[in-house]
Amino acid sequence: MPKTLTRREFLKIAAGATAATGLAPAVRSIVIEPFVRPPEELLPGQATWYASTCRQCPAGCGIIVRTINGRAKKIEGNPLHPLNRGKLCARGQAGLQVLYNPDRLKNAVRQSGGRGSRQFEPLYWPEALDLLSDKIAALSSAERIAFLGGLMPSHVYRLAARLFETLGAAPPIIYDLQSALEGRSAASQLSQAFFGAPDLPVYDISQSDVVLSFGANLLETWMSPVAQSAAYGAMRQGGMGSRGLFVQFEPRLSATAASADEWIPVRPGAEGFVALAIGRIIVEERLGHVGSHRTQAVLYQNVDVREMATASDVPVETLRRLAGAFADADRAVAIPGGYLAGQRNGFSSMLAVQALNLVVAQVGREGGVFLSNPGPTAALRQNLPVNAFDEVMDLIVRMKAGEIDLLLVHGANPMYELPAAAGFAEAITRVPFVVSFSPFVDETAVWADLILPDHTYLESWGYQVPSPGADRPVVSSQQPVVRPLYDTLAAADVLLGLAARLGGKPAEALPWEDEASYLEETVGELHGSSLGAYDARTPSGFWALWRQYGGWWSEKKIRREPELTEVVQKPLPISDPQFEGDPEDYPFHLYPYSSIILSDGRGANLPWLQEAPDPMTTVQWGMWVELNPKTASALGVSDNDIVQVESPHGMLEAPVVIYPGIRPDVVAIPVGQGHQDYGRFAQAVSGSNPLVLVAPVTDPSTGALAWGATRVRLKPTGRKQILARLESLDGNGRESLG
Amino acid sequence: MATDANLSVENDRRWVLVVDLDRCTGCQACVVACHAENNIPVVGEKQAAYGRWMHWIIIQRYWEGEYPNVKARFMPVMCQQCTEAPCEPVCPVFATYHNAEGLNAQIYNRCIGTRFCGSACPYKVRTYNWFRPEFPEPLTEQLNPDVTVRTRGIMEKCTFCIQRIRRAEIDSQAEGRILADGEIQPACVQTCPTSALVFGDLGDPDSRASQLARSHRSFRLLPELGTDPGVIYLKGGETNV
Repeated sequence: MPKTLTRREFLKIAAGATAATGLAPAVRSIVIEPFVRPPEELLPGQATWYASTCRQCPAGCGIIVRTINGRAKKIEGNPLHPLNRGKLCARGQAGLQVLYNPDRLKNAVRQSGGRGSRQFEPLYWPEALDLLSDKIAALSSAERIAFLGGLMPSHVYRLAARLFETLGAAPPIIYDLQSALEGRSAASQLSQAFFGAPDLPVYDISQSDVVLSFGANLLETWMSPVAQSAAYGAMRQGGMGSRGLFVQFEPRLSATAASADEWIPVRPGAEGFVALAIGRIIVEERLGHVGSHRTQAVLYQNVDVREMATASDVPVETLRRLAGAFADADRAVAIPGGYLAGQRNGFSSMLAVQALNLVVAQVGREGGVFLSNPGPTAALRQNLPVNAFDEVMDLIVRMKAGEIDLLLVHGANPMYELPAAAGFAEAITRVPFVVSFSPFVDETAVWADLILPDHTYLESWGYQVPSPGADRPVVSSQQPVVRPLYDTLAAADVLLGLAARLGGKPAEALPWEDEASYLEETVGELHGSSLGAYDARTPSGFWALWRQYGGWWSEKKIRREPELTEVVQKPLPISDPQFEGDPEDYPFHLYPYSSIILSDGRGANLPWLQEAPDPMTTVQWGMWVELNPKTASALGVSDNDIVQVESPHGMLEAPVVIYPGIRPDVVAIPVGQGHQDYGRFAQAVSGSNPLVLVAPVTDPSTGALAWGATRVRLKPTGRKQILARLESLDGNGRESLG
Repeated sequence: MATDANLSVENDRRWVLVVDLDRCTGCQACVVACHAENNIPVVGEKQAAYGRWMHWIIIQRYWEGEYPNVKARFMPVMCQQCTEAPCEPVCPVFATYHNAEGLNAQIYNRCIGTRFCGSACPYKVRTYNWFRPEFPEPLTEQLNPDVTVRTRGIMEKCTFCIQRIRRAEIDSQAEGRILADGEIQPACVQTCPTSALVFGDLGDPDSRASQLARSHRSFRLLPELGTDPGVIYLKGGETNV
């Protein structure tokens, strides 16, 4: 008979068992604690990649940055990003040198020796913000404050615009040289006229059989060069069989034209005439697809092909041949570029080029022109509107009249980027207090009382809706990939700090604690969209994925077909180009062009970019004047001979590069060198800024700077300056000089 | 030699770089990417004017014709990774040698700076450190820890980003899988906006590089020298109407 177990006995046994278990050998694992605790994601020697957005130009390409031990080591394109698909240009690759530039400002500073003294005294941030908010509070009226911005992330613009609105001041003016050279404001106005929306169109080069580019250096700096270059590669060798026809119309053979099948050296300012003539030939001779262009005859009723051919210097046979190719192609696209916008008849030329897409019914078609679909990004999309040059001129006039007491400058360098003749240098002296947000002491910061250095882009937060966009809705996200190197402060946080200090309405309108919380709230608008390539259950999950992938985009291609406005039922305007300077005194056209390496001069402080040769001239670390061989021999000058270039507004000297691909009546000078300030690498180069020559004239229809409308004359100086060139001019190869 | 050749670092791979001249736009993205990846110093204006630039890849530009019928063509030129490399036999200290994967490797700490290899190279792609490279602080932070910083007196050249090749090989080996075609991307290939550059194994007939190498457009630089380069060019075309 089994022994019955009483309750008391059971408890005794159970207690004994517990005690026996506790007597197991004391082998415990105890984690030893290091004195210095590294961040969790940091494994020594192991790379971590963070996604962000490139800010070397306004395109908004996605990047991923390799970081090791908390230091950024290499920038690559984000392979998932729909705009650049893992690719990056030279300027994007050089971004590390913005971060690690030895000439960065390390803290907020005040110019102790007065403006222009270049003597800086460090300032404690709260003190700097107090100083600035006192200046704002002391303004006699809100109209006496102005914000001049350039390339800036969307959230900084939105916060600045919001702050200025509550103050009752005019919204920020956005203008920089890059956007002027690519004709951004004019392109936006062109879209408005044609499609009723200011969004920049996407020209579908990759799917196109015939591309006619009118002064668009689409493989260099114009609009979205990486996306366009990828499309160009696909056009050439991506499909089966045909490699496409690419024709470039411009007075100088650019690096883009070098990749074209044909370069047509049009007379400066006459590009629109070429487009008009091609259009006229298509409608008149009923070229291409039957019936597609009947309704467009009215556009060309005033166009005389022969007249246009004479005015543009392009033979009628060439026009007829290209008209045939363009009209007969299944998919064809005509692109109005930046050089057109830089003429006084720019807008009518751009209208004429865009009309070609209409005539051959390529609007909204694959291989033609379409708009990018904003998707649910419409709310975020308050993209910074780029202002035209005449709005900057208005500001300069007000500054000169003493109507501005406080000027804030962010992401632009107007002292360098505006034509010298616009008078900004004089105007800034009339402004009692100037604040710059530049991380570097550039030409404008030198004239600031206070410099509040923003983080560089690899240390910053932000977002950007790329414009022109991709083939689907996309927003690029920017996050710090490294901790800020120095005691700099995000411009957005400065604005939020100012609002809090000012109290009242500004503080109510900008209640966010910091820019990251503002961004988290803003991008939350995208959470829950069915279009997204990813979605999360919670807003914080979405915020994490947004940062992980470097933005938000649609999984599928979604394009937007533009709706045409009534502009298309009126005859196209024909207007002659006008130039500053008497042709007798100033026989040459000046063509200042955006450098593929330095863009508008922003890249001049990066040694990698200075060292990279210009693709066409192979010049490194230099600035030069391009002349046609005939022009040069008529002047009696050759390579490396210094010539004096003089316009009605200014003069500069630079060595000559004999350039076979330029019209004999044109003188081309790259933009980007000639920095007085902006750091040791920018200042090391002996060069001049061609903007001293440029007349501050505009295209009256758009208000855009007509930067290609100045005439110049040339004078040999008899002196020489040997340019550093990769190309060996004597044919002896490397290390044969000196 | 490990039993499974695919999982061994020693194998009969033949790395090649295909350069499609029909896609190349001369944009210099590869040049800057190469500087960033390989810790290549900049020499400045004065030395550059002497032809003492340090680029491992250069974009040569050739003019054809006269105004107005003028054309410019680009040709990126980097170390051709020759099978019969003229640079190798002239090195007195075996600093430049041929590795098992067909690469011309350069061992920096063997190099004594005779510059014989640079003289022997018919492609003129070797660069010599005439001076100690300078990286003003904090530009030293940009340096890639995977790549040696060379000092004065050392010859250097394109390595096909051997550190990336090795990393991919070792990672795939550790994960016990076969290296996929296209997994290795030298810095220039990775960044090229037009995808003009394709890197791959010529030993694998199905690799994208092998397929392109069989194209009717393919040619090699200075074939008459019999160097059998590992850089394969695809000639550019022209569309006429």
